[in-house]
Parts: sequence; C-alpha cells; structure tokens
Amino acid sequence: MSNLPGKSTITLDLPAWIEYARVHVRQAYMYRFNVVVAFLLTGLTIYLLTVVWRSAYGDQRVVDGIALEQILVYLTIANLQVRFLSQEVDEDIRDRIREGQIAFDLNRPAAYPGQLMAGAVGDMIGALPFLAVAIPVAFIAGELRPPDSPGAGLAYLASLGLAWIIAVQLNLVIGLTAFWTLEMTGFQMIYRLVANFATGALIPLWFMPDAVRAIVQVLPFQAIAFVPVSIYVGAAATGGVLTALGLQLLWIGVLALGIRWIWSRAFQRVVIQGG
Amino acid sequence: MDRLAILRDMALTSLQAEFQYRANVIASIIGGIIYQLTGFVVVWIIVDRFDALGGWTLPEITFLYGMRLTSHGIFYALFSQMFDLDRVLITGEFDRYLVRPMSPLLQLFTRKLRVNCFGDLIGGAALLAFAAAGAGIDWSPAAFALLIAAVIGGALIEGSVQVTMGSLAFRFLSVQAVRASTNEVFNLYGNYPMTMFPKVLEYLLTFALPVAFVAYFPASTILGRSDELSVSPFIGWLAPLVGVVLFTIAVRIWSRQSRHYQSSGS
Repeated sequence: MSNLPGKSTITLDLPAWIEYARVHVRQAYMYRFNVVVAFLLTGLTIYLLTVVWRSAYGDQRVVDGIALEQILVYLTIANLQVRFLSQEVDEDIRDRIREGQIAFDLNRPAAYPGQLMAGAVGDMIGALPFLAVAIPVAFIAGELRPPDSPGAGLAYLASLGLAWIIAVQLNLVIGLTAFWTLEMTGFQMIYRLVANFATGALIPLWFMPDAVRAIVQVLPFQAIAFVPVSIYVGAAATGGVLTALGLQLLWIGVLALGIRWIWSRAFQRVVIQGG
Repeated sequence: MDRLAILRDMALTSLQAEFQYRANVIASIIGGIIYQLTGFVVVWIIVDRFDALGGWTLPEITFLYGMRLTSHGIFYALFSQMFDLDRVLITGEFDRYLVRPMSPLLQLFTRKLRVNCFGDLIGGAALLAFAAAGAGIDWSPAAFALLIAAVIGGALIEGSVQVTMGSLAFRFLSVQAVRASTNEVFNLYGNYPMTMFPKVLEYLLTFALPVAFVAYFPASTILGRSDELSVSPFIGWLAPLVGVVLFTIAVRIWSRQSRHYQSSGS
C-alpha cells in the first residue's frame, strides 16, 4: 500500500495540465530530427503497401466494390494518420517506473493520468508543424486525393479528433499495466501488434476474412484508422457516418471508465524502485 | 578465463537477468511470435484473396517470409542492443566499456538480451517447416546448406547495417529513429518477392540497402526461381558471403567512428 500524498482520483486541474502540455510541445521540437525521419519512413510503408495492392489488383479496377484508387488513398491516409496518432505515453510510464522517478510524478498535486493526458495533448500540438513534411511525403509515396465529398471531409475531421482521443486512452491503459508488471516490453509488443493490425491500416476491414473481421469489429482499434479513413474515401462501414461516429464515442466512454478504474488500483499497488 | 568463456558468461548473465521477470519473458516470446505472424497474416490475407503476388504462390511466399524471419531472429538475438546504443552513450554507460579489457562492441552486444528474438526464431522456423513441403523444393544437400548459410548470412547483413548506422551515434548522439526505421525497411520489403516491385526499387533494395540478399536472393535459388532475378541467377549462392563481407566492413566503420566518442560526463 502506498502512503503517497498524491492523488488516486483524476480531477480537473487545468493550469497544471497546460504546463505539462507546453513541456511536451517543446520536446517534440527537441526531437525534430527523429520525427522527420519517422515520417519519411512512414512514406516507405505507404509506398510498399501501394505497390503490393497495385500488384494484387492487377488489371482489375474494382474489387469487392472498392476501386483501386479508393484503396490507395485509404492506405496512404490511414498509415499517415496512424503515425500521427501513435503515442509514447506507455514508454514514459515504463521509464519512470524503472528509474524510480514515478515517486516524483505521484507526489505531484495533479493526478498522474491527467499529467499524461496533458502531455499527449502537447505531443499532438508539437507534431502539427511536421505535417509540412508528412503531407508531401505521403503525396509522393502514395496516393492523396481530396475527400469523397465536402460532407465526408467534415465528418472525417470529427472522426479524426475522436480517433486521437481513443489512441491516447488505449496507450494509457497499456502504460498503466506497468504498475503490475514492471517489465512490460512483452505486453507492449502484443499491444503494438494488435494495434497495428486491428486499426485496419495495413488491410482495411473490407478485405479481411469474415472471421478476422468479426474479431476486429469488436475491438476499439478500428476507431483509430479504419473508421475515419473509410469515411474520407466515401466507403463508411455498415450503418454510415453517424453510426461510425457513435461507435467512436461509445469507445471513448468505455475507455474513460476503464482508465479511472485501473488508475484507482494502480495507485494502491505502486512499487518505487531504488531511491 | 579466456575471451570466449567471458563472452559466454556475459550472455548467460543477460539471459538470467531477463528471466527475473518471468511473466514478461513468456509474454515477450508469445508477443514476438504473434507480432511476426501478424505481419505474415497481412501477406497471407492478400495472397489468399488475390491468389498470388508477383507470380509467387502462398507456399513460396511463406518460405521467403520464414527465411527472413529466422534471419531476423538470429540478428535480434545477437545484435538487439544496437537499438539501445543511444541510451548507452547518453547515460555514459559506454565509459565503462572503454575501461574493460574487451571490445566495447562485444560488450554492447552482450549487454542485455531481448527475449522476443525467440518469438522470431520460433515463428520463422514454423513458417519454414510449414512451407518446405508445399513449395515444391528440390531438397538437395546443397539447397539445405544454402538455407542454413543464408539464414546466418542474412542476420549478419542486418547486423552490418545496424552497426554502421549505430556508428553515426558517436557523432550525432540520437539516431535511434534512423536505425529503427531501417530495421523496418528490412522487415517490410524483405518479405515480398521483388518481382512485384518496379525495377528501380529492386535495384535500390539490392545495392543501396542490401535487403534482397537477406532472403529474397537465396530463397529464389532454393525455390528454383533464380532465372527471374534482375541480377545474375548465381547471386543466391553468394548471399551468405555478402553477409560476412558487409559485417567485416561494418565493424571497421564502427572502430573508426567510435574514436569520436565524447563522454557525457555523468
């Protein structure tokens, strides 16, 4: 049991959060070289996928109701988006726990998950200028077209915002498991694998075998890539745009409750290494 | 104690260190297997849906994937610590390596073992075993010898690229993104038959970054498809040698660049 003076419940603490966010904006700039390289290499993934899918389509123009152009635009935006939405919160938590510095984080008057969320906001704001690199890269490597319709464009932006929230929440859930396992590279790998595949960024849900799609549809990860991007290319999943957005909102609610619950337990379990 | 005994002890110690966290070891290995098989599932789903990719059938692509994955597992078992080099340099841990009577590079290699390499090895071997029957391979002793040599040579090729990239860290400190991403190029492009790529890309993956040598060239030879290569069909037999040569060069580059090391002083 811990007797730390920090908070085991998550409460609104805006001024502190803004400071965390600012630190993270600056960090993004510090590691600008790495960020740019990461985007260049996302370009390589996008290029590979478009080559593979072009080769797979061969002479066919439309497969299962999806035109070649739609799938190419889908793959380009989905992979760009997954890179943009990728979070490092879990790594932060692991490092802090391993080095024992988690004690300082927990002693601060703002609850730890709030600190992390604020940091993620900062990461996102810090990443925005890198769109200047990412969009040209995606344009060269893949296939970029305007959204299917202005309405699809607007719905996409809304869906993208929700996707970001879900990406942060999921990463936070994984990160907090470090309070139980200390060494968590294994869990992190499993998370990455599920996240990578189940977002639908490599194979959109349209082309998944029925059994695989049935599993992916009940996981939250499709909300990160497939849901927004299928709206963008005008092929929103069954039920249309509103159902898609509703599904995302539902996941945000579920994950928020989950994080609250996990955190209240994690706080009681904390082990401070070293010190 | 002689050098080999010391090396063995260091490797064993890093293995024991990992096994302190038993649940994580098991999760890492299972995670490693699932992770790599997921990559394979992507290929599998596409090939299954469209019958073939670049003219290669599912068993043939499975064989290629298995070879590359096994190579990658060996690479990861031996050289995974290259990915932690930034941390070793920034924290000043490298200072310790310099005062010990053993090559700092070897000390780095044996620093810690990432157990998910076992996942790659198990997954790769499973794919190879699964594909070996269906891909219609003529299992002559020469073909079998090439498979073994190429899998080791492939690990050396990936190792040589990572050691060379790692050498840059002595000058630029943080090159982790470059290394992780190059690793990703091998992981992505190494698994596909290059018949489906544009010629320019195939040449880039041969001469700019030696991805094709890891598995594609030797797999083409073993599968009896070497006549469709854009370079000499004989190249598949040379792939393991390329690994040895490139790794030797990489170690040279490392030795030269490590002279630029400046301790962080902590």
